[in-house]
Amino acid sequence: MKEAIIIRYCEIHLKGKNRGYFEKLLKENIKNSLNGFDYKFTVLHSRYLIEDFNENDYVAITEKLHKIAGIHTYSRAYVVDSDFESIFNACKVLCEGKFGSFKVETNRADKFFTPNSVETSRLIGGRLIEIYGKNIYVNIKEPSFVVNIDIREDGKTFVYTDTIHCMSGMPVGSAGRGLLLISGGIDSPVAGYMTIKRGMKLDCLHFHSFPYTGEAAKEKVIELTRRIGEYNGGINLYIVSFTHIQEAIHEKCPEEYMITMMRRFMMRIAERLSKKIGCQAVITGESLGQVASQTIESITSSNSVIESQPVLRPLICFDKNEIIDISKKIDTFETSILPYEDCCTVFLPKFPSIKPNLDRVIKSEKNLDVESLIEEAMANMEIHHL
Amino acid sequence: MIYLDNAATTKPDESCLEKASIFNVDNFYNPSALYREGLNNASEIKKAKKTILKCIGATQEFECLFTSCGSESDNQAIFCAVKRGVYVTDKGEHSAVYKSFLELKNRGNTVEFIDLNSDGSVNIDKLFDYVKNNRVDFVSIIHVNNETGAINDVNFIAKTLKSINPKIVFHVDGVQAYGKIPYVLSRDIDLYSISAHKINALKGVGALIKKKKVSIAPLIFGGGQENGLRSGTENIFGIKVFEYASAKHYDNILESYNYVLGLKNRFIELLDRDVFTIISSDNSSPYILSVSAKGVRGEVLMHSLEEYKIIVGNGSACSSKNPFSRVVEACGYDKKILDGVVRISFSIENTLEEVEFAVDKLNCTARKLKGIMRV
Repeated sequence: MKEAIIIRYCEIHLKGKNRGYFEKLLKENIKNSLNGFDYKFTVLHSRYLIEDFNENDYVAITEKLHKIAGIHTYSRAYVVDSDFESIFNACKVLCEGKFGSFKVETNRADKFFTPNSVETSRLIGGRLIEIYGKNIYVNIKEPSFVVNIDIREDGKTFVYTDTIHCMSGMPVGSAGRGLLLISGGIDSPVAGYMTIKRGMKLDCLHFHSFPYTGEAAKEKVIELTRRIGEYNGGINLYIVSFTHIQEAIHEKCPEEYMITMMRRFMMRIAERLSKKIGCQAVITGESLGQVASQTIESITSSNSVIESQPVLRPLICFDKNEIIDISKKIDTFETSILPYEDCCTVFLPKFPSIKPNLDRVIKSEKNLDVESLIEEAMANMEIHHL
Repeated sequence: MIYLDNAATTKPDESCLEKASIFNVDNFYNPSALYREGLNNASEIKKAKKTILKCIGATQEFECLFTSCGSESDNQAIFCAVKRGVYVTDKGEHSAVYKSFLELKNRGNTVEFIDLNSDGSVNIDKLFDYVKNNRVDFVSIIHVNNETGAINDVNFIAKTLKSINPKIVFHVDGVQAYGKIPYVLSRDIDLYSISAHKINALKGVGALIKKKKVSIAPLIFGGGQENGLRSGTENIFGIKVFEYASAKHYDNILESYNYVLGLKNRFIELLDRDVFTIISSDNSSPYILSVSAKGVRGEVLMHSLEEYKIIVGNGSACSSKNPFSRVVEACGYDKKILDGVVRISFSIENTLEEVEFAVDKLNCTARKLKGIMRV
């Protein structure tokens, strides 16, 4: 029997006249992601079909599907001719070795197919009981598995049991481009993942402060970026050396404002880079009140330097545990907790200001040559295409 | 590149590699095989054992079995010589011993970690006291501390332990001593672990020198190589490189010792003592020097030196959970010292000019960082 993977999308069917645009984008994303595999791709009404794939590639293909934003679910199905006996045979194979309660659900797009949907379900269910009655029984309300029969108009029928959930969301590229500030901690990769999920194509920016942080810390960030890049269809990582800026702030500004000032510099650099490479927003992993630099006062202070673009903070109202759950799901947690210092910890003041006063911050910033520090940092930028 | 992390590993000696290369390409045969080529290789391994035993001055009572690394040798000594009982070691052991002892504890044995002196050597009074007052089965002491370079007088410890309780099995982790410290293996020592890559041979080879009378069980079971004590096809190439490197090191062991001592003394002489505290004592191994720049984080210092192509080791790994060196902490230093530990470890390949350049950069960098960092 021929097999196929049925891919269903998520919110796109809510779209009106621009639906075609989203469908096409998702199709392109799937095709790019499955580059290198042999298969036949077909677009059906509000779903896609992958056929003629190599049996040994199935696991690898589905792993890819799990990382494509916009895919809601997929099922592995048998494709048979729309005649009763063929459909029944497929159902028979599917139920082999199954245990517990089940029901048969028929969807009949081809209205010329007889018997009708309810009758088909009843007849097939009955015959399945005859064969596997020892192991399975019918429960219409709460079955432990469902045998789905999807009778298409083109004379073909899909038969499948499992529907597997993917990441959902919107196709990457449908919501513009954004620049993610990535630190090497737990939060920022999660923030990136969530933005990608809503269809934004990402670039990443990391601040490195050699020798205060080592090569291992940089490698860790590259690895994290690569992981979220799998959802993004590849990703660019920009690494800016932050050492001189940190040293300058340290030398000339009050200790308690160290972090506040650093974040203001980061935001300024992020905005400039974002504009330069054609991004439309800056994304951070900030979560309200998580640390001193993420109180509303601190966010106000860092937010105030960025004028022309929105700052998206997808995790702003998430608890740490919720963030950790997602990071485990997207497989970044284990890398995030590797014990290399990231940008902030070396210069950590003993008592960071929790509620920085914006006027005082601006006043002490006057001690610094902000413009030339930023220009120097931007001039020495590393780019990794991951 | 100025490489001053020779306690971590050393550069393989090219002449030894060259000499042994025939076993990598032509004489690749399995030493357990019964045809002539196999037998030849088996006798080459025997020769290697003989050389190594001779190097360390081991008497006929000892035998040598090859393992895959120093850690494996330590593990086999610890887990396979005594089935259960009271185990004693010190707080300055390498993780291969330290973590094995924690595992012994997990398995329900009595385990005691003896305190250190401030230079990292074991406090022998406390050790002997404990052994006198308890029915101890197994003792493991490191010969040269891998972080501070402190030398434990293992022959004296062995003799005293055996006079207190002759039934004790005594293991010595000699990984940082072998090929470096002029030393003759005492008959009172039962097991002695060594590693090849610390003396310009290859990674992947170690050895456990054991007294024939002491019976130990295998850690790895299989084809029965090494008298059934360590199965697995022998790494003949690695073993031959180990043999040649051992011979080369022991040929000039005193000259090398004095040469490296000169390097270390020069280093100490030039070191800015306003910034640095020296953790290693005067009579420690010349190959290892542990210093701390108070108020400067060791890892940052290490990274700063990378810019000048100087490689040193850091004692304090910057992990948030366990930021300090366990061993230096056990020496009784406070947090600020612990934070700034770097380990400089020499070899005969280092020159005086390299050392002078490195110490100058180390001084400058530490002074500069001291102004910047708040630790």
